[in-house]
Amino acid sequence: MKIIVCIKQVPDSASIEVDPEKGTLKRTGHNSKTNPYDLFALEAALRIREKAGGIVTALTMGPKQAEEMMRDAYMMGVDEAVILSDPKFAGSDVLATSYTLFQGIRSLGGADLIICGKQTTDGDTAQIGPAIAEHLGIPHVAWVNSIEDISGEAITVLQKTGSCIQQSQMKYPCLITVEKDIFVPRLPSYKLGLATAKRSVRFLSCDALPDKNMSCFGLIGSPTAVERMFPPEVSDVREYIHGTPAEKSDRMFELLKKRKLI
Amino acid sequence: MNFIHFDEAKCNLCRECINKCPFQALTMGEKGIEANDACRMCSLCIRTCPREAIYFEQKAGTVDKSQWKDILVYAEQENGHIHPVVFELIGEARRLSQNIGYDVHAVIVGAQGTSANAQKLTDYGVKKVYIYEHKEFEAFKADSFAAAVTDCIAMLRPSVVLLGATSLGRSLAPRLSTRFHTGLTADCTKLMMRENSDLVQIRPAFGGNVMAQILITDSRPQFATVRYKVMDAAKPVPGFSGEVVRMKVTDDLTASRIKVCSVKPLEKKKQIEEEEALVVAGRGVKDEKGLKLLRELAESLGGQLCFTRPMVEAGYGDTAHQIGLSGRTVKPKLIITCGVSGSIQFASCMKNSECIVAIDVNPDALIFNIAHYCIVDDLYEIVPRFLERIRAQKEEL
Amino acid sequence: MPYPYHQINEKDIKYFKTVVPSRRMVCREDIKEEYFHDEMPEYGVYVPDLFIEAVSKEEVSAIMRYSYENNIPVTARGAGTGLAGGATCKYGGIMLSLMKMNRILEIDNENLTITVEPGALLSEVADAAKSAGLFYPPDPGERTASIGGTVITNAGGMRAVRYGVTRDYVRAIEAVLPDGEIVNFSSNVVKNTTGYALKDLVIGSEGTLCILTKVTLRLIPAPKFTWSIVVPYDEIETCIETVPKLLQMSFIPTAIEFLETELLDIIERHLNKSFPHRSANAYLIVMFDAVSREEIEKMTNEAAKVCIEAGAQDALICNSDERSASVWSVRAAVLEGMKADSIAQEECDVVVPRPRIADFVKAAKNIGKKYGIRIMTVGHAGDGNIHTEMLRDKHLSEKQWKSNTKACLKELYALSKELGGQLSGEHGIGNGRLEFLEDFIGDRMYRLFQSVKLAFDEKNILNPGKLITFEKTIKEDVLNDR
Repeated sequence: MKIIVCIKQVPDSASIEVDPEKGTLKRTGHNSKTNPYDLFALEAALRIREKAGGIVTALTMGPKQAEEMMRDAYMMGVDEAVILSDPKFAGSDVLATSYTLFQGIRSLGGADLIICGKQTTDGDTAQIGPAIAEHLGIPHVAWVNSIEDISGEAITVLQKTGSCIQQSQMKYPCLITVEKDIFVPRLPSYKLGLATAKRSVRFLSCDALPDKNMSCFGLIGSPTAVERMFPPEVSDVREYIHGTPAEKSDRMFELLKKRKLI
Repeated sequence: MNFIHFDEAKCNLCRECINKCPFQALTMGEKGIEANDACRMCSLCIRTCPREAIYFEQKAGTVDKSQWKDILVYAEQENGHIHPVVFELIGEARRLSQNIGYDVHAVIVGAQGTSANAQKLTDYGVKKVYIYEHKEFEAFKADSFAAAVTDCIAMLRPSVVLLGATSLGRSLAPRLSTRFHTGLTADCTKLMMRENSDLVQIRPAFGGNVMAQILITDSRPQFATVRYKVMDAAKPVPGFSGEVVRMKVTDDLTASRIKVCSVKPLEKKKQIEEEEALVVAGRGVKDEKGLKLLRELAESLGGQLCFTRPMVEAGYGDTAHQIGLSGRTVKPKLIITCGVSGSIQFASCMKNSECIVAIDVNPDALIFNIAHYCIVDDLYEIVPRFLERIRAQKEEL
Repeated sequence: MPYPYHQINEKDIKYFKTVVPSRRMVCREDIKEEYFHDEMPEYGVYVPDLFIEAVSKEEVSAIMRYSYENNIPVTARGAGTGLAGGATCKYGGIMLSLMKMNRILEIDNENLTITVEPGALLSEVADAAKSAGLFYPPDPGERTASIGGTVITNAGGMRAVRYGVTRDYVRAIEAVLPDGEIVNFSSNVVKNTTGYALKDLVIGSEGTLCILTKVTLRLIPAPKFTWSIVVPYDEIETCIETVPKLLQMSFIPTAIEFLETELLDIIERHLNKSFPHRSANAYLIVMFDAVSREEIEKMTNEAAKVCIEAGAQDALICNSDERSASVWSVRAAVLEGMKADSIAQEECDVVVPRPRIADFVKAAKNIGKKYGIRIMTVGHAGDGNIHTEMLRDKHLSEKQWKSNTKACLKELYALSKELGGQLSGEHGIGNGRLEFLEDFIGDRMYRLFQSVKLAFDEKNILNPGKLITFEKTIKEDVLNDR
């Protein structure tokens, strides 16, 4: 069984602010880490491998520094790590990123199962997984809460859809995105770190991908453009509600309704 | 329609795609295979081509925006009902369409009962509701639902497609936007329409620390998923009645590689840390009657009833539902504290909640220092009427 | 000994109303139940006669002066998060809350200190230090404790391995003596050989010597990186035997905790929280602080090597906030898990020399077995402070449970003493461990304790009946007289 896990390196800090003059992001601290949601995807892949055998490949699109994240992935137990790295990929939005990853998967000869985290902590879009599935023309189930069964031909998963829980089965090849309560991700192992210290991380540039049509990658291949960034409004309401008890409860109802809390 | 492209260098004119196309949209032209207007973007040809010579593409700067108009709303169904976010999407779509002269349409995909739901939408100012009704659409399957909605979009050519940022919407939308090789903005909290039909999409990023304003200027349609409980829901438009259009559901639309084994109502109780709405009972709750009242309030808000420490010690609740000192720390969207004085230990474990409503008889209660809405009164006077109004509202829907 | 105490009457209340406004004063019948006990109601539930919230040292002074003259017992109280039954009115009288004195007065960046009133929460003090780019290391786990309470009980916590306990961070104390006089113990200086170190005596005195009204605390530069490793073992013995080896490394770890797998089962079962590794029988969790990435990586590697050489299966690395949280949130849930898994709990908070931890843990299990009590050992392996939790299962009757735990505790304390340990590592004596103290420290030392108490509080009106008593001595004196 061939499993590819798509992961991303994100800044190791939630304290990100907008530079009010330039409208660009100010990142405090220069450390990065694996997107925390992707750890659940890695864990799911490793558990599936433990049960069904096969190899797990971690795949990312990112700069050279992503190698550090891949070392961490090796310490969790993945078999192979591939970084799609090229200055031409810069400025990619969801479409271009998912296209690049799709190209990466193609050049790795495809996979039986592709696993993504539910979203990243920097973009929060939760769109890359389904978009990759669409590029590949394979089915997907998003927000998977648990893996019910895994066989040589198919995977059976549970996913929460609003007020229901749905059990679905897909034959390979297919893609899932996993929720954060699926498993507790294992921690990177010191021993595995020693064992994989010499294992190489593969870098693939644009030239190595099957599609060389540059209009699909990077900024050019990205239909969405961020026009500006700005800090969120902070509302600091403090309101005493006066009147008769009936008036008070009505006012409370109206206020909460207006804020769509009820 | 100029989305399907053929790589002439790769294509060996094997005609496999022409034979497989369910819409007879592919023909052999002078320079090779060509796609005509019958194309429904089903992507079967791409999957079929043995030489991987076919791909979708919408080249930047080449789109003729005038060819794309109106707003299409995806009408999600949940448990056989229209998801309430749909009415918010319609309300927002109507507001956006006003200045630019667009119409608002909806597309609905589902099994038996879908027509009846579709009919309901026509009162809300939706010009046309396109129905894809088939028993195969009973449960959500990302691939076949995408095929159905794609069929509608390819036919209608809307400028904007709005979906709820629900788990279903956020699973479906990226497949659609990818298929049309266009942009999608996730989880929008604010939308504006420019004169040139560019949709200004605003969404929180980086865990809400930053707002991003996003545009899709060179391709159409513009896809956005919109956060639930942010936009104003549409109200029925008196005298207006939209049209229901039943769409042909071909086997290609229902074909899915996802087999749904079962759909069950969610039973697992959430931990209080995961709830979006909480009601807290404090010492101001004197008896079982008050407790019952608050429990009903919590249920009607879709959340759970929690307790302060003295209430747990008095045996009214368990530690798994205790907020504060040696209990849990919570930050729901809404927390209503009833008869809670608000000790520092309690406050420190819930003060990051998005909206805090405090009801307590004591005007000096510490809770009023951190509450957003303060009601100095007896909870027994306030809660029953409040609960009644919430219930009345529910019945309206 | 002026005992029995004066019972508060209308006249007294009338006086106190001239000191504090009546909205900050509550009489007996209206006092909230939460003030009857601390976090351990098992160690005593007592009703105060009068509850007063003070806002200034002058108020505290006036209240004390009157109480001293009229022989009224006073118990000062912070957030009430103690675990020894300390902040309760054992003999009635006044419960004096200092929670309204909660200002953070000053952060001195030049002297690296913070000066606060006693009612500020530990979390507020830690956050204030953090926002000034500094660090207040003591962390006894309960972050909603009042800072005054942590000082007056000398709170410990797991970071003691590297940073020490609260006492190591107190520079100066302003306090009110039982007769109402306001005094200062030491000042904001680094060294001090000016006579008796009474400041250090006051720290950990559990409110029996004076009432703290202001404290100046030492801060240190904040570490930039905090990582942990989780170390799985096949055997609990090998696990604990690693601890002294970790203490011989080229640096001192911030914390070393140990966990038995049985506890992880309990937490998973009751609280639905899973640990990131489940196949071992015992775990060490080791935490490090450093200022650079290179340094923290070096520390991690050295510690991992030591553990593996000592027989660990592996060393698993928490190098991000989420990974640390996945481990430490489970460690923090231990108490709640044990509460959910038993119908009553009793706790022993002994501390032993670090090389003797393994001996204590092994023997403690056997003692528990002897009395049919389930014993769980958790805690601060790095400083020898073993929280030995006794859990009551259904088969024990209330009476059996009471007598068995008492017998069990006696043996555990004797064991600790034999191993060169102490009765309490960080929770204190209060009311809960009162009956075991004299035996443990011996007669001569006990009389010294009593003398100290009387030197400060000869009328025994400050938190009477806690930490030490005079009852037994009185009884003996009476016997001798006969």
